[in-house]
Amino acid sequence: MRDRAIRREGGVEYRFVPPDEFREHVRDRKSKAPAPKLFTAAEAVAAFVSDGDYIVYDFSSLTRGPQSLIREIIRQRKKDLWIGAEFTLHESPLLVGAGCASRIDVGFLGYGSYIGQAVCDGRVKAYEWTNGGIALRLLAGARGVPFLPTRDLLGTDNMKVSAAKVLNDPYTGDPVCVVPALNPDVALIHVHQADACGNARIFGTNLFALEASLASFRVILSAEEIVESDEFRKDPMRTTIPYFLVDAVVHAPFGAYPGAMPARYEIDLEHVDRLNAIRTDGQMREYLEEYIDSVADHEEFLDRKVGASRMKELRRRATVVEGYR
Amino acid sequence: MPRTVEFTDTEFMIAQGARLIEDGKTIFVGWGIPQVVAMLAQKLYVPNVIQLFEFGAIGPQSLLPFVRGTMGGPQNTYRSLQWLNMNWAFSYSAAGYMDYGMLGALQVDPYGNINSTHLGGTFERPERRFAGSGGGNQVASHCWKTIIVIKHEGRRFVPRVDFLTSPGYLDGPGAREKAGLPRGTGPHRVVTSKALFGFDEESRRMTLLSTLRGVTVEEVVKDMAFRPLVAREVFEVPPPTQEELRVLREEIDPDRFIIRGEKMTATP
Repeated sequence: MRDRAIRREGGVEYRFVPPDEFREHVRDRKSKAPAPKLFTAAEAVAAFVSDGDYIVYDFSSLTRGPQSLIREIIRQRKKDLWIGAEFTLHESPLLVGAGCASRIDVGFLGYGSYIGQAVCDGRVKAYEWTNGGIALRLLAGARGVPFLPTRDLLGTDNMKVSAAKVLNDPYTGDPVCVVPALNPDVALIHVHQADACGNARIFGTNLFALEASLASFRVILSAEEIVESDEFRKDPMRTTIPYFLVDAVVHAPFGAYPGAMPARYEIDLEHVDRLNAIRTDGQMREYLEEYIDSVADHEEFLDRKVGASRMKELRRRATVVEGYR
Repeated sequence: MPRTVEFTDTEFMIAQGARLIEDGKTIFVGWGIPQVVAMLAQKLYVPNVIQLFEFGAIGPQSLLPFVRGTMGGPQNTYRSLQWLNMNWAFSYSAAGYMDYGMLGALQVDPYGNINSTHLGGTFERPERRFAGSGGGNQVASHCWKTIIVIKHEGRRFVPRVDFLTSPGYLDGPGAREKAGLPRGTGPHRVVTSKALFGFDEESRRMTLLSTLRGVTVEEVVKDMAFRPLVAREVFEVPPPTQEELRVLREEIDPDRFIIRGEKMTATP
């Protein structure tokens, strides 16, 4: 499946799954039964992320990102991942620095010189789809269509280093850009609340949480809080993702750390500065060893590397609560 | 009133940008400096501007101070009219609802084409690699008028961008429409740390409109790797006002993380 999903045109590689293949996967492999699917992060990543997978995530490195799941992927040293990098500041340098990722669809490549240097050195391949392009590709994947048209990307060099194409629009007769559907292997989404079956609520904005959940072969949620299933039926307007799109739920308080979780805790800017300061392979190895490899899991990470008083302080700083409920 | 005012080139660039934004209009705001420009504008000049961010914050009234590096955090999405997601955010621009877009750039060329991807080398093996488009390509493609905010450094103003990330007027008049981009859109102003540029209606080439008070046309042009057109009458722009500097330094960026830069002086 994975090898067939890599298409090559000239020097460009892109991920593409014909819509019928994805539909058949949904029919045959996605359980729609409301069964509990609580896992530890280690179990979920071991079961649902494989070497060579294409992954996307929501929201950003600094806000509601699935950071504890990303750290677990690194801890398990998954290989040859292809990442859809959108609102990515630290995921791409960490995943490349740990030897986990070999291709990046950009989006936003990431923050700092480490990831830039990795591209210059040819350690990771980058393709340019732009943020809007990746979001639209996921919408196409979610809508079960092979592509969607858009009136951007046109006239730019992104067209040469992606598989976006120009067609003649049959309605206006003008040129229009089309981008292929993106059906990732795995979507990683950190949410405010989920139930054990995978119903989920996000408070605030998102990138493409529902599109990515619909379009991905497997969906792993991490949740700050596990709530009763009946909560969702009492207030359906607030459901972001219904359970039958979801394969695994991981209870992960402070799962977005060092980023913020809106209305729950603030960013740890000191830790973010440590990430931003990584420039060399030596600094990368030190970071990975200290914060990821030397701890068994997210709970030990919080205990030993963040600490109760720090977490309390970050919670205290989350004073903006209006609109989040 | 003091005889001279001291400020950084970044503060001037931000203040100059903030004065361009119109009240009661919509503006699609890019990451980094454009956020600070929009914050200053909304605080001092245009309380009814509708800011829009690519992750789906529609019309926020950002909470100050600015949290460095963030865009989607709770401060920057505070008191929005609506919270959505990226496909909806770009629907607002694609359907023609965004009067302005505002973007930073690594490099810009005479037609206002933006590079934010790499410098030197080839795409596959660049000399220096940067973050790429983010949502900049959509903003520059869809918004009616795009404002580019960029430091006035020679290496940034080049005859041809190393990589065309976000479209200006491409290679001249009519090129955007020919490529299929929405009709009647394109770069409108280039705000720098020394000057302000527009684009000539006929040739679509960058045109010097005004300079910071005390900076000559020659001083502006010698810092560029191409020669821009120069308007028949070049106006002078006053330096940042005391109020602009106070809001920037005390309310928006008290750590001086964004507004630091080369020190300048000018008469107010």
